[in-house]
Amino acid sequence: MSDYGHDLLLGSFITPTNARPEEVVRLARASEVAGLDLVTFQDHPYQPGFLDTWTLMSYVAARTERISLSGNVLNLPLRPPAVLARAVASLDLLSGGRVELGLGAGGFWDAIEAMGGRRLSPGQAVTALSEAIDVIRGVWDTSTRQSLRVEGTYYGVRGAKRGPAPAHPVAIWLGAYKPKMLALTGQKADGWLPSLPYIKDPQELVDANARIDEAAAAAGREPSAVRRLLNIGGTFTTGASTGFLQGPVSQWVEQLAELTLQLGFSGYVLTGDDERSLRVLGEEVAPALREVVAQHREEAAR
Amino acid sequence: MTRDHGYPVRLGVAVDPSVLTPDGLTRLARTADEAGLDLLAVTDAAAGEASGPSGPDPWTTLAWLAGTTDRITLATHALAPTGTAAVLARAAADLDRITGGRLELGLTAVPTGAASPALGVQPHAGAVGETIAVLRSMWTADRGPVRAAGPLHRVPGAEPGPAPAHELPVWLSGTDEALLDLAARTADGWWTEAPDPTTVAAAQSRLDAAADRAGRDPAEIRRLLTLATLPDLPALVRLVVEDGIDTVLLATTDPATVQHLATAVAPALRDLVAATRRSRGTRPAPTRPARVRARRRAGIDYDDVPAGLETVEPGDARYRSMRSNYLRGGSPGLVLLPRDTEQVVTALGWARSQPVPLAVRSGGHGISGRSTNDGGIVLDLRHLDAVEVLDHRTRRVRIGPGARWGQVAETLQPYGWALTSGDYGGVGVGGLATAGGLGFLARQHGLTIDHLRAAEVVLADGTVVRTDEEHHPDLFWGLRGAGGNLGIVTAFEFEVAEVGDVGFAQLAFAVDDVAGFLVDFGALVETAPRDLTPFLIMGRPRGGQVLAQVMAVVASDDPETIVARLQPFARLAPLVQQLVQLLPYSGVVQRTDDVHAGQGEPVTRSAMLEHLSPQFADDAERLLRSGDLYFFQIRSVGGAVNDVPAGATAYAHRTAGFQAVALGTSRERLDRRWDAMSHHFSGIYSSFETDRRPERLAEIFPGPTLARLRALKDRYDPEDVFGHNHSVAAAGVAAPASRGRAASPPAPRPA
Repeated sequence: MSDYGHDLLLGSFITPTNARPEEVVRLARASEVAGLDLVTFQDHPYQPGFLDTWTLMSYVAARTERISLSGNVLNLPLRPPAVLARAVASLDLLSGGRVELGLGAGGFWDAIEAMGGRRLSPGQAVTALSEAIDVIRGVWDTSTRQSLRVEGTYYGVRGAKRGPAPAHPVAIWLGAYKPKMLALTGQKADGWLPSLPYIKDPQELVDANARIDEAAAAAGREPSAVRRLLNIGGTFTTGASTGFLQGPVSQWVEQLAELTLQLGFSGYVLTGDDERSLRVLGEEVAPALREVVAQHREEAAR
Repeated sequence: MTRDHGYPVRLGVAVDPSVLTPDGLTRLARTADEAGLDLLAVTDAAAGEASGPSGPDPWTTLAWLAGTTDRITLATHALAPTGTAAVLARAAADLDRITGGRLELGLTAVPTGAASPALGVQPHAGAVGETIAVLRSMWTADRGPVRAAGPLHRVPGAEPGPAPAHELPVWLSGTDEALLDLAARTADGWWTEAPDPTTVAAAQSRLDAAADRAGRDPAEIRRLLTLATLPDLPALVRLVVEDGIDTVLLATTDPATVQHLATAVAPALRDLVAATRRSRGTRPAPTRPARVRARRRAGIDYDDVPAGLETVEPGDARYRSMRSNYLRGGSPGLVLLPRDTEQVVTALGWARSQPVPLAVRSGGHGISGRSTNDGGIVLDLRHLDAVEVLDHRTRRVRIGPGARWGQVAETLQPYGWALTSGDYGGVGVGGLATAGGLGFLARQHGLTIDHLRAAEVVLADGTVVRTDEEHHPDLFWGLRGAGGNLGIVTAFEFEVAEVGDVGFAQLAFAVDDVAGFLVDFGALVETAPRDLTPFLIMGRPRGGQVLAQVMAVVASDDPETIVARLQPFARLAPLVQQLVQLLPYSGVVQRTDDVHAGQGEPVTRSAMLEHLSPQFADDAERLLRSGDLYFFQIRSVGGAVNDVPAGATAYAHRTAGFQAVALGTSRERLDRRWDAMSHHFSGIYSSFETDRRPERLAEIFPGPTLARLRALKDRYDPEDVFGHNHSVAAAGVAAPASRGRAASPPAPRPA
């Protein structure tokens, strides 16, 4: 039971359907208008019905002014890490520090391989992701003049140029579920970004948090160095509750506050592509939730 | 000797993002965009350095600039592609789609060096050649999967697509022999850099020599040139008309220079080039590369298409998504995509001058209407898709023929309005609104055509008329039921209805006694209040049972009313599934973004029925159990539909309570069985009938309707230009070419 004390982030998870790109861009802009902090897009580069997420994010960044953007999560096996690092830093510079890096080890290996990516076992993919994080952070680190060297099996680099450095410290958030991925999250990542629909039991969240905390401690990091975010689905109704996040705004506030104060989550990303729900999340849930959480934290601090 | 091949002249600016601040870059792009410059190129200054680049990522920069501009064409310049080739294909196609076709891809290669997986594939000439092959396959492959053998960009079997929004050209930069050869073999154009114009001619000669070696016409390879300084106007003109450079870019970071280039240099250059070309008789270059032209069909004068008309032809990437209809495969030789009424007139006039079949398409869902063809022209109305409210008080709405019903429902929903249409949101407005429109609100609100108040029509001779009860009333009568025979409607004006949320039920029954079920269903519908409109679907029997799906709308937002209307249906047979929702009409007829991929020809028969009589039900059960059908639907079309007198519109079936359609696999077997049931039927709704025997016509347009339509045909379309959907032209009257067009099914193409 822990609250890591992060400011709250509320965001949208938009399906990047390519049949009507203008609709996707419109929902992203609507997220900003609704006052959300973050707009995110899933990344399945092998899916011809989806827009290329990185290209879409770059375009959307130019069509928005305030909101932060992230992949949710970007597919590492089809995006070589040094190229990705340069792309992320470039967009962060262009957008004035509005990019975060949601990253995943890859999961649909048949589809990845079909596109020309390398098939890895789940264990290998975790190792590759770990190396990729080193490469990415290394490319971003222009504080040294030494060329970049990363030892590794999958993404080793010998003497690559560094830069550009992003405009702000870009957070690396990992989509993680299994023990090794959770351990890597605690060891190296700035955030954990799972999807609630993939979680069968609330206890899994508790256990996963514990694994992350443990791995962070083992790596000499504070558990609070890893922000906990969550992709959530739900509907706003006017009537009584019909389930978790199926009910009125007051119920949403109560349940998200509990996740925040009891389980330490501080970022909530709403799926569903429903503009009205995004508006309610940004305009009604967000201020009320922030108030409740602030109040509890104040009381706890006393 | 001049190398000018008559390509349009373009002026652009090439920026190196590593030497500008983000704000400076954005300002420069906006200046170029607003000043009307043709092209903005982002140069990958650090392309493929062995230790990896360190400056801004050019692709990201370009996509960002796409978002900061609205009009200008955007190109990567000398991008060394290191990532997964199939991912780049998607990224490029997607950026082209996001920007409405503003992307061009300038690539380059680097000398062979050490590869590193973190940096992707080292982009030397061989790898880039593989990348280009993957790009083109991903963009144009007709059916998946896309495969590439590698060795560097191996694609074991990717899903193809999406197609870019336009024919996305691939340019190549580089001067070493490997690159020249690659450009000569594969690129749409070659992009060089020169400090000043004097060295250009020699470089062009080297490319021409490479093209000769590759057996490719040098005229097929466009030429782009980036200059470090702006030469005087005569030198610029010489670059175009002597050296054959069609796109000149200036490498600059100065907005004032960009402004000058766009507003002063560009118009002067264009005028002078045009004058030289006139005096020399230079012919304009073909609008498509040779690999696309190679797939053109005989009989169409592709180079004669009127200027400004958007086209898609068989070699184009977008052809895949436009060739076929919902249930019908097609291989047209040319798709014309007019943007407004004026362009419809132009397109129609030109299409009529071509000795090939003509089809008109709105949404492409038509089952009877042949809105695609083999080797002919398709006049595709998809861009005429506006939905505008003209008058709030009278709920007058203007709708383009290319809109789809889901989009119409979505647009009207916030007003609390709806227009009864069909049962599926992907259906186009034009076909349905000229045939009838048997929809989920039919018993309450009548047919779609019953709400039509006026229309703008392009007639066969190109005349544009506005028709309503006062103006060309005969035409207005005929459009409502037989519009496909008379002209191309370019705008419909409807009086739509106030429709709140409705009850939408999806019920599934396991039926043993099919005949009994049909009779009971019919009796329930006929005695139900008009706010209920149910449709019934049955498929092939399984283990003796038939699954019957009833989809019904109750035009009421009162839950008790909805339940009361549906309750009796629950007793029809054992319910295996039920879902009842309270939805806006836009939730019933939902917006979709289907791309049609029909193949072959649909085999259907259809009929109007006064009642579902026990005799009909027995025959229908036998038909279903024969296995010759895979889909059988009955729509309720009584109630308000039948308030309208039979002679009021060209849809004359104003006594029928039901409409049936059967989809089978064998024309011969379905016809034999359906013909034997004809004594049950009172006529045919045109849209679902694919039997082309002449006796169907008098069943579609019974009694005096056909005679009236023939008179209209003589007046408005005497040559039967619009004869591809149950032509009413009397046999022997229509021009031979048109008759042949109407009667002959598409011939199989040689493989």
